[in-house]
Amino acid sequence: MAAVGETILEVRDLNKSFYGVAANEQVNFDLRAGEVHGLLGENGAGKSTLCSVLAGLYRPDSGEISLDGQRVSLRSPHEAAEHGIGMVYQHFRLVPSLTVAENLVLGLKGQGVRLTLRAVETRVAEIAEEYGLSVHPSAYIWQLSVGEQQRVEILKQLYRGARILILDEPTAVLAPQECEKLFEVVRHMADQDHSVVLVSHKMEEILGHTDRVTVLRGGRNAGTVPTEDATASQLATMMIGAEHMPEAGQHEPRRIDDAEPVLTVTDLHVTGDRGTPAVNGASLEVCRGQIVGIAGVAGNGQREFQEALAGLRPATSGSVRLGDRDITAASPRRRSQVGLAYVPEDRLGTGLASGLTIEENLVLKSYREPPHSRFGVLSSSAIAATARTLVERFDVRGARRQMAVSLMSGGNLQRAILARELTRSHDVLLAASPTRGLDVAATAAVRGHIRAETDDGRGVLLFSEDLAEITELSDLILVMSRGRIVGSYTPETLDVEELGLLMTGAKDHGAHQDGGRAA
Amino acid sequence: MNDSVLVLSIVSAIVAGTPILFAALGEILTERSGVMNLGVEGMMLIGGVTGFWAGVQTGNLWVALLAGGLAGVVFSAVHALLAISLRVNQIVSGLALVIVGNGLSSYWGTIGDAPLIQSFNGVQVDPILPEALRGLPAVGPILFGHDPVVYLSWLIVAGAGYFLYRTNAGLSLRAVGEDPAAADAAGLSVTGIRYLFTLVGGFGAGVGGAYLALAVLGTWQAGMTAGAGWIAVALVILAGWRPWLALLASYVFGALRTLGFTLQIAGVEVPSDFLSMIPFVVTFLVVVIVSANPERARRVGAPASLGEPYSREAR
Amino acid sequence: MTLRVSVEPRARPALAVRVGVPIASLAAAALVGAAIIVVSGNSPLEAYRTVLDSSLNGVRPITRTLVLATPLILTGLAAAVAFRMRVWNIGAEGQLYMGAIAASGLALWLPADTPKVLMLAAMIVGGSVLGALWAGVAALPKAYFNTNEVITTLMLNFVALYFMNYLIFGTVSFWRDPGRNYPQGKLIPDSAELPIIHHRLHYGLVIALIAAVVLWWVLRGTTWGFELRTIGDSPSASRYAGMSVSGKILSVLALSGALAGVAGAIEISGTLKALDPRAVATELGFTGIVVAAVARLNPLGVVPVAVLLGAVAASGAKLQTIGIDAEIVFLLQGLIFLFVASGEFFLSNRLVVSSTSAAMSQTPATEAAHE
Repeated sequence: MAAVGETILEVRDLNKSFYGVAANEQVNFDLRAGEVHGLLGENGAGKSTLCSVLAGLYRPDSGEISLDGQRVSLRSPHEAAEHGIGMVYQHFRLVPSLTVAENLVLGLKGQGVRLTLRAVETRVAEIAEEYGLSVHPSAYIWQLSVGEQQRVEILKQLYRGARILILDEPTAVLAPQECEKLFEVVRHMADQDHSVVLVSHKMEEILGHTDRVTVLRGGRNAGTVPTEDATASQLATMMIGAEHMPEAGQHEPRRIDDAEPVLTVTDLHVTGDRGTPAVNGASLEVCRGQIVGIAGVAGNGQREFQEALAGLRPATSGSVRLGDRDITAASPRRRSQVGLAYVPEDRLGTGLASGLTIEENLVLKSYREPPHSRFGVLSSSAIAATARTLVERFDVRGARRQMAVSLMSGGNLQRAILARELTRSHDVLLAASPTRGLDVAATAAVRGHIRAETDDGRGVLLFSEDLAEITELSDLILVMSRGRIVGSYTPETLDVEELGLLMTGAKDHGAHQDGGRAA
Repeated sequence: MNDSVLVLSIVSAIVAGTPILFAALGEILTERSGVMNLGVEGMMLIGGVTGFWAGVQTGNLWVALLAGGLAGVVFSAVHALLAISLRVNQIVSGLALVIVGNGLSSYWGTIGDAPLIQSFNGVQVDPILPEALRGLPAVGPILFGHDPVVYLSWLIVAGAGYFLYRTNAGLSLRAVGEDPAAADAAGLSVTGIRYLFTLVGGFGAGVGGAYLALAVLGTWQAGMTAGAGWIAVALVILAGWRPWLALLASYVFGALRTLGFTLQIAGVEVPSDFLSMIPFVVTFLVVVIVSANPERARRVGAPASLGEPYSREAR
Repeated sequence: MTLRVSVEPRARPALAVRVGVPIASLAAAALVGAAIIVVSGNSPLEAYRTVLDSSLNGVRPITRTLVLATPLILTGLAAAVAFRMRVWNIGAEGQLYMGAIAASGLALWLPADTPKVLMLAAMIVGGSVLGALWAGVAALPKAYFNTNEVITTLMLNFVALYFMNYLIFGTVSFWRDPGRNYPQGKLIPDSAELPIIHHRLHYGLVIALIAAVVLWWVLRGTTWGFELRTIGDSPSASRYAGMSVSGKILSVLALSGALAGVAGAIEISGTLKALDPRAVATELGFTGIVVAAVARLNPLGVVPVAVLLGAVAASGAKLQTIGIDAEIVFLLQGLIFLFVASGEFFLSNRLVVSSTSAAMSQTPATEAAHE
């Protein structure tokens, strides 16, 4: 085993692309024994691809990987494990109905016929003690908290002899106290000469708990620096890229001083899938003719916020008003009727029913209303007429009448959703990542439609992880972090560096309870 | 005392419950892998006719049981192919097995110059333990008076319990049925394990059918299982997918199948149809009561992926 | 390097494939059936000629086929409507028994001189209501506790079966003819018999065909059907569109049970004329599920599939006379299903043999799962 501080893992000129799109380009990375190495970058910067290559899940197109100076090829997760590389994914791979010890031995080769959990449990207890991973080996996984389950995943890798541990966004699923515990364990492992790769887009974690940090941007290296020499703003600049920094005041903000609010959210609290709070008292206001953009790193409560606004998830407290109507407890159908249009993030599956035809999908919200149906009977001619108009107006291509929409391209799917949502009478458009994964032409079209909304005096609430999109379109930019609105800018007051710090949680203004209107 | 109604009815409950037990044990293992095979009735029928035929041909109990089991394996292989590889709806595929099994077994039993329906099998199914033990009061007939197949079934129950909870292979089986994606990530072959235990289930049902024809009924007739395969399906749920509880439940259900006769001797008139209904009513109620409380549902422990095909891409 | 056989979805099969695969599937089923007939010492050619002769050659054989197809159309529709929403009602069997019990009960209870129209209407409505209620016994726990309907509907089949047996064999009930030693059901009055179209073919076929067309239209042309198809296709999109899923579970299972109940009523009124448990319990419900699956859950597709299986069944008696046991028809029905279902898979997928040394496939899906 390498002495502390020596390089044990080295990646040279790694290239990996998927269907012609480069995910990693000429990436270099080195890892020393006994260090905690941060891997920082925005979503899509190539962090996950690099890690998956190291874990043996993907094979690189070109490039070299060396362990202890020896070139290796990691062709499967098994081979990576044999070389002592273990990865803990965001989605745990544990069988809920089995115990901790049973999960640890599951699938291990050379175990013999009998299940000898006693020995496993003893060994687990030893490892747990050594690294401060307190988990009861005979507890069932379903009984454990998320943090405990994560510790089991780490234990599993250590039990299988991992000396390099890759943690993929480990705190994304954890409560703050559990995060602290995790970092204690991470420090313990480094002290025992293990190397840890900590993948994150949260600045404070990187600054607080790593020895060195490598920043990726757009699939390429943006630099590697010792953490103690780094500052938050320097890393934020590396992450976003100076040349990509949106300029302040890209467009004239619309005058909204005298406009009336069309969507008012007051102190909204929403519970997430795991029963923990996801939105913690968010307040905002969207006025007629205004686009309000919500910037933030994924997983900070945006999805739950959207779902609560659309009526798909109950709010635990707080209120949502559309104009002067309280819609906090209204059904999704009611919200749609009184003027909320919603373009969800998940296009095929939520926004559109994949097995239905384009015509049917275009009336998914209006099929109960005349002329599309009367007394429960659908009018296929009226539906076809509506569909024809919408397809033409919104330039939906590749649609055939009897064809399931699942065979259409992403851009056309989004055009179809916009066509349906925007042609219904509405006052507010709620749009989530509306251009993600779309090509240039489709992106431009979608943004054009969103801008046009304000000309007709409607309000838009735009969620996006794409900062450039937010700054390009919004009259008011809010920052969401940990379920709260933590910052608010107009295009004139925009400070991108500060915004980056707020997004990554490195800086906390204290919640902007009054979020809403620009001062 | 050994001729008392109580002792006799317990003995006959064990005899009547044994075919159900074999089928239920097989289905438990199949469902533990995440595959639901509703074709138990069909596999029992086909195992019954094959086993009976082999019994007539060879006069050897073990050859006959093995033949019945192998016929069940062949049948379950069809379900495995459809449900696991071709991702046909498991319910429909299982029901198709029942229909084919019914038709094929009846057909086979009535063809030829010496059709099975007119045959007697020369298979000897006798008690194996010494007379001294069998003569003991009460426990003699109940515990020591059985044929070797009954004792074999007890061994298999113990073996299945040991396998499921005390071996690495059993752990793999449980993992595949609970969470195929996690099992796949741990390096197990989900498809391989599901195939294997679907075939094991077919073997159990086939042996059960053969034993029913050879030992319980002694003759072959069309549709001779009379719902025993469906009782086995219900029993798997009632036993919570646990072999030991399946042993208990199959004897209780075996008792219900003979209870009408016993009660008649005792002078009590209970319509046999209502007795026959009991397993199904109880299973219905248990399923509803369990599902009303999610916490309870988890403890009872249906394999979480039961009935759902797995493919890595769809993760 | 290892050879890997992988399955890839086929986007839109060519017309030749879509027509060819089902025909090849039927041919394969016939071949395997022939092999079994040969092994059992009979001539498959003779057997198949008998099947065709006794089911399609002439007016009488055709009426026989259609009489047998009639209940299968209705149970096939019962399965198709529920399965369309991914509600797995496998209780059509028991719902049909309940329909038969209600219809025969009403026919015996109402005055024999009740006008035929009223009598028949009462029987069919009564059969559908009891069938719907019986399905409702499973539908309520499904809607409120999310109880697995596969198990509950399956169990209720047997409860209904033994109840029906009890009415005739277990006691001298209202349904049983007290004048006979051997237990059997009382004959229903003439006014309760469905009118005959020709020979033994009764107007039940017309009712079944109307049901198929109406159900096809309901699924396609009403908001109720639109919601049902959307929920079955994508629960998430249906919630997004504001549809209520639990209310739909109740109405879908009720409709499914009602269709099976009508099948039971028509069997009594058109074919059996008395509650005869042995003749009612012939796996019509289970076969209906197979019919629906082969018809790809399309109500109009159910009709030809039911007629095909009915034709096979119609030849049973004739096969008996040439020394082939009538039970072979169930074998042939099952084989048709097994091969058509396998064929379905190759319609939507194709096998790709590739040589690869990478252990993991690198699909966009797995990539996306890690981003």
